[in-house]
Amino acid sequence: MGESARVRRVSARQGGSKRRRRRPSCCPSWRRVPGPTCRRQRCGNVLALTGSEPGRSLLAGQTALLRALVQLAGAPAPAPARDAARALVNLAADPGLHEPLLAADPGLPARLLGLALDPQWPWADEAAAALANLSREPAPCAALSEALASADPEGSGLERIVRALCTPGYNARAPLHYLGPLLSNLSQRPAARAFLLDPDRCVVQRLLPLTQHPDSSVRRGGVVGTLRNCCFEHRHHEWLLGPEVDILPFLLLPLAGPEDFSEEEMDRLPVDLQYLPPDKQREPDADIRKMLVEAIMLLTATAPGRKLVRDQGAYLILRELHSWEPEPAVQAACESSFRYVRGCRGWDGVTHAGSGSRSPP
Amino acid sequence: MERSEPDAADDNAMDSFLEKFQSQPYRGGFHEDQWEEAPWFGVTLSRPDLCCCRQMEQAKTYKDEGNDYFKEKDYKKAVISYTEGLKKKCADPDLNAVLYTNRAAAQYYLGNFRSALNDVTAARKLKPCHLKAIIRGALCHLELKHFAEAVNWCDEGLQIDAKEKKLLEVRAKADKLKRTEQRDMRKAKLKEKKEQTQNEALLQAVKARNIRLVSEAVNQDEDSASEGPGEIFLDGLSSENPYGARLSLDDQGRLSWPVLLLYPEHAQSDFISAFHEDSRFIDHLMVMFGETPSWDLEQKYCPANLEVYFEDEDRAELYRVPPKSTLLQVLQHPRYFVKALTPAFLVFVGSSPFCKNYLRGRKVHQVK
Repeated sequence: MGESARVRRVSARQGGSKRRRRRPSCCPSWRRVPGPTCRRQRCGNVLALTGSEPGRSLLAGQTALLRALVQLAGAPAPAPARDAARALVNLAADPGLHEPLLAADPGLPARLLGLALDPQWPWADEAAAALANLSREPAPCAALSEALASADPEGSGLERIVRALCTPGYNARAPLHYLGPLLSNLSQRPAARAFLLDPDRCVVQRLLPLTQHPDSSVRRGGVVGTLRNCCFEHRHHEWLLGPEVDILPFLLLPLAGPEDFSEEEMDRLPVDLQYLPPDKQREPDADIRKMLVEAIMLLTATAPGRKLVRDQGAYLILRELHSWEPEPAVQAACESSFRYVRGCRGWDGVTHAGSGSRSPP
Repeated sequence: MERSEPDAADDNAMDSFLEKFQSQPYRGGFHEDQWEEAPWFGVTLSRPDLCCCRQMEQAKTYKDEGNDYFKEKDYKKAVISYTEGLKKKCADPDLNAVLYTNRAAAQYYLGNFRSALNDVTAARKLKPCHLKAIIRGALCHLELKHFAEAVNWCDEGLQIDAKEKKLLEVRAKADKLKRTEQRDMRKAKLKEKKEQTQNEALLQAVKARNIRLVSEAVNQDEDSASEGPGEIFLDGLSSENPYGARLSLDDQGRLSWPVLLLYPEHAQSDFISAFHEDSRFIDHLMVMFGETPSWDLEQKYCPANLEVYFEDEDRAELYRVPPKSTLLQVLQHPRYFVKALTPAFLVFVGSSPFCKNYLRGRKVHQVK
């Protein structure tokens, strides 16, 4: 490959800014002031490299290059910035590269966050995606949390992410779906969950409608992942299941289909699940369905939570889901949930022998 | 210091201001600690900033007056005071924002939610971060059942103060009401769809039996020309007749009609709410006339004596119905027209003079 050969020559001069290359005719003084065409070309080259594992390993050792890349990703010039941003996304996807990246630029998380949350930045999506990739590993996630906290001590900076996620048209040029997975990764940290579940604020409530967001399974998946992580906080279950948050309908709604329930069954369901139209679709992504079922199961961990989940008719929805569900993993999750959302007594209060049976009463 | 002539307009304003206190207790009275802030009564100065100062003082006085009325729950007077304060058009946006917000609160308690909304909108224009205005606006939207708007206002307020308790409370309430309203709309839509399907099935059943329907609405409604005949009948099917009964289809696909039996001799009538189309007239008559009715003074209305007729109104002709016929057989008669989805029949005592008189001079056919 002619291009990679060129880069190999660059790496042979580590740390040096002098490059001996055939001078392109469009840039007469390219050594001092690389023109935009060259920058774009080089970015394109780097981007091509990040597409492969060996390419990425190659770049891992290039601290100066990485630093330059990060700077370019935030530069106003259009095309190189975009390619640089995309290159960062690919690099961040490789956990082995997190350390070199952070070593090259310790301020990388904060910088990317600024770009992702800038309503005018055209490549905010790429910045968000890079952050989502970075935050999958504990060390960068911690660095990011610190960056968030220092940017906004009171609200731990998460407020800005939640606001960007929940405000339609926050950035006219970038849909910012990757803020979902970013939030999900951040919610693995207790401080993040504490903020999301602060009863004196309205944070988690604003995320709930996004479980039905039609345009992006990435966004939905991120939000559902966040909610599932929040459901690990047992002491918040009663509040989550109560009227101030009312989380259960939002977990059940994506799992519900166009079922025709009897009047009596309908009255037991939360209002959001009553009289669903005949064209109601279930969540198409099986992984998200599984996370939803897991979240509901988590909410049955405490006795008061269990009662609230049962009283709100979760079993009805899960029963119908189980009959419809094509994915074995999700089906298995449903079956595991039955013993908690239904208990030893059946739906109609009649005792049933064996709570783990497949067929509903 | 120059002393210029007092402005006539100001004098009038001052007079009316002072006159007020002849009928009302004076509020905002002077206290020693307020003397330094006292407005300069009776002196017009040519310096505009001091004029503003006086207007602001007056506006503040009106505000305090309004607040006092508000505390006494005299919201109408509070509105007047606040309005007077706003009329001063003093230069302080904060004071005006408070006047608007307070007036909005008074309007809210008077039930004038739209006026209150106008006021808080004006307040927010002056002072976008005025939380009390935002809270009041959210409450107004809640009362006006604009639940989505109420949630939006709460979210805007929470961006200013993320822990404002009232906003959190109103938001939760508005969100729940919004979702309940959505449920009600879904329920109504489903019910309408179901009814429409049922009505179409009914109409289909009637058509399949070649029963002729006549709608009264055709004459009354000017727009009926734009509706097809089917829709007119469907409308009729949806509404119950004055007796509270409707045409219905049972599980076996058989119709039951609400039927009117008229007794012209005594100007009486009977209403059968569900006359199964396969049941016979005689069966109903046996039940209904098992005991003679109270208006039957001569006690002659017993099943064996009774004759049933229907009238072809177009031709003013009568048709005699054999009591052993079923309803369906009669309804399918080519000259039977069902009016307002309620078949009607005349019932006489056959041998009676009234009956003979009624039938004299009229063409009577026999239904086979």
